[in-house]
Amino acid sequence: MGLGRPLPSLALPAASLIAAAATACAPGGAAAGTADGHLVYATGLEPDCLDPQVSGLEVTALIDRSIFDSLVGMTPDGRFHPWLAERWTVSEDGRTYTFHLRSGVRFHDGTPLDAAAVKATLDHAVDPETKSRYAASLVRSYASAEVVAPRVVKVRLREPDASFLQALSTAHLGIQPTARLRGNAEALCGTPVGSGPFRFAGWTRGKQVVLTRNPGYSWGPGYAGHRGPAHLERLSIGFVPEGSVRLGALTAGQADMVDGVPTTNAASVRSSGRTRLLRADMPGAVFGIFLNGTRGVLADERVRTALMRAVDIDRLVESVYSGEYSRAWSPLSPATTGYSRATEGSWPYDPALSDRLLDQAGWTGRDSAGYRTKNGERLALRWPYMSKLMQDRRHVLAQGVQAHAKRVGIAVDLVNEDGGAMARDVLQGTMDLYSTSLARAEPDILRYYFARDRTPPKGGGNFFRLSDSRLDRLLRDAAATTDPAVRARHYAEVQDRLLRKALVVPLYVPVRLVGASTEVRGVRFDSHAYPLFYEARKGGGK
Amino acid sequence: MNATVRWLVRRLLLTVLVTAGAATVAFAGMRLTPGDPVRTLLGSPPTPELLRQVRHELGYDRPLLEQYGLFMGRLLRGDLGHSYQLQQPVARVIGDQLWATLELAAAGFLLAVTVATVLAVATAGRRPALRRLAVALELLAISTPSFWTGVLLLTFFAFRWQVFPVISGSGPQGLVLPAVALALSLVGVFAQVLREGLERALEEPFALTSRARGSGETAVRIRHALRHALIPMITLSGWCVGALLSGAVVIETIFSRQGLGRVMATAIAGRDLPVVTGVVVVSALAFSVINLAVDGLYRVVDPRLRGAAL
Repeated sequence: MGLGRPLPSLALPAASLIAAAATACAPGGAAAGTADGHLVYATGLEPDCLDPQVSGLEVTALIDRSIFDSLVGMTPDGRFHPWLAERWTVSEDGRTYTFHLRSGVRFHDGTPLDAAAVKATLDHAVDPETKSRYAASLVRSYASAEVVAPRVVKVRLREPDASFLQALSTAHLGIQPTARLRGNAEALCGTPVGSGPFRFAGWTRGKQVVLTRNPGYSWGPGYAGHRGPAHLERLSIGFVPEGSVRLGALTAGQADMVDGVPTTNAASVRSSGRTRLLRADMPGAVFGIFLNGTRGVLADERVRTALMRAVDIDRLVESVYSGEYSRAWSPLSPATTGYSRATEGSWPYDPALSDRLLDQAGWTGRDSAGYRTKNGERLALRWPYMSKLMQDRRHVLAQGVQAHAKRVGIAVDLVNEDGGAMARDVLQGTMDLYSTSLARAEPDILRYYFARDRTPPKGGGNFFRLSDSRLDRLLRDAAATTDPAVRARHYAEVQDRLLRKALVVPLYVPVRLVGASTEVRGVRFDSHAYPLFYEARKGGGK
Repeated sequence: MNATVRWLVRRLLLTVLVTAGAATVAFAGMRLTPGDPVRTLLGSPPTPELLRQVRHELGYDRPLLEQYGLFMGRLLRGDLGHSYQLQQPVARVIGDQLWATLELAAAGFLLAVTVATVLAVATAGRRPALRRLAVALELLAISTPSFWTGVLLLTFFAFRWQVFPVISGSGPQGLVLPAVALALSLVGVFAQVLREGLERALEEPFALTSRARGSGETAVRIRHALRHALIPMITLSGWCVGALLSGAVVIETIFSRQGLGRVMATAIAGRDLPVVTGVVVVSALAFSVINLAVDGLYRVVDPRLRGAAL
């Protein structure tokens, strides 16, 4: 019996069966189980480490956003606002940023914010000793910082980098006090100290992180409606791995907000009188399929285009996500600056075209299973994936793509791999198709995926060693200027070129779906689609 | 007496051997699965400098045999290593979570034994209709996976009626549903074994004797037959340590409880080698020690075994 049953993932199908029951039954008790002024947020994953410069996990950014302040704040419209820096200037050549810090800011340990802390934080991010899993890659253009005056810091970049301010606005570049950064890594991970609206109060591993209001806070980001302390007294982030159980916690009033609401349950969360559905489109790279244009059968652009046009993406996304998500036209999410509207409708579903292109490419034979062949070889594409990264019904979507591809005679082999095999595939670029998404409020994300110098061995996401000098120049120039018109023009051409060469098949725009009790008000999403608790209120709380 | 000492020494050596074997299997398992463990550990493509740094720090740039030697050497000194991902010593990671799992396992075990005893005493060799019903229910409990019972329990008792918390707290209230779910997976086996033992014991001459002395049927069962029926149960409880530990992985995930099972699941998914081997070593040790205790208990309960060098 119990001996051979170590798989929590087995719980998923069973759990999702009852998820409907969980949302359908309105609880009898009237009041929510949590107190006013105390917001309970349930999420699936637990952070590994709360040092914002170390961990790359989304949940770390979610929690750290309340504990740490950034130099600048960014709103979803792409504009930057003062925060810890009350103003800043950029040199003519785009390589020197000078930040003037706000006065009167104190960290939770009582030490005042100064230019040295900014320098120490940036140095900490890029120090190999830190073993940063994300922050370092955000500021890879950072060269050095210089304390000009107690509250003036000058940051030098190796090359002009238009994405630098966006990087600084993320929680991953939250500013830490200098003295703490000299201490040990375990303390930085386990008991974070920032200057944010909430203080770290405790972390019960396997259960929750608790934050309490920072009563002396008076330096809220420029985009917020106020500057003073947060309205909530207490914020608990609980770790509830099962999605259906999180939903049950919300309907039973034991959590005020839950994230990762399955699209199949979105309608019931929306229509229940006691809960609301909050949604934010994620910026960055949408979920899509990257096509290996550098080796194998997909080196032929006609075959790539055939696959791209063979999939009825509108219908697939509509049916797999119950109409909650929208299909993507561009590798960039519409929530990202630089998104090109011209991509919309530019590559419609056209299986007849696919058939013609495959015929032209010489794939004219058919085998017994109905797949196309050339010289006795089947037209087969290997699409390895990791089930951990195919959550949110992405594996169902992938099966839909597989079925549509079969209709024009392309065999798509979906291969479930474990982390090790997947890492090897990614490192060597030995797959035909690869699917992923990456949230970042910057079109520079395209450089991560398509620039020649961003291959996986170099820490990038150019999985197939694409080397296209036109793309490289456009991406480099777009990052080197802060002129929005020039950037928009360059990025529009990049998107057009990627789609015309069929190097990527964008599928859908990822959305953060958060279920919230109707008692909760004032939650907004930042430019990275993370919920912000600074302005949140609950019930009759102040 | 001499035989007992020799038995104890042998069993202690065996315990060390089992633990070392389990550690070796865990080490090999994590290394033989395909892919670079450091890359898996780091997740999204790391920069080459970071990769070199971590590989060196974790000793992955040394020959495999040397790594194994270092690993076993540290283990012998009682050092379970340091979790790279959690930035904590493994001993502390386990120490923080051990109590929650012990609590769950103990509560589940006691509940299962109690219910099984009541069922067996009530139905062994009598009340045929009730006995059939009990046997059928036990079979159902054995064959229902605990993630399903867990989800059902949550749906009714936590979502719908809200008698118990959805997210298990640390208090006794939060322990009820997880313990019930865990107990349900064991109660069937326990009850069936106990019932069979009872039925056999009730046919023994001593049962007849005590009945002849005028004892009531239930008194005969509880005071005399149950003691004999408990012997196979003791053996079984040694075995069920494994069932309890693996059951905890599922139960802790569904009920959002702290505990070793969840730590283990996360560590395997993230290839956090020191944590995986640490949990394996601690589990193997617990398994061996409890089995040792059970065998010792066996010798106390059954005097015939004292001379044997089992």
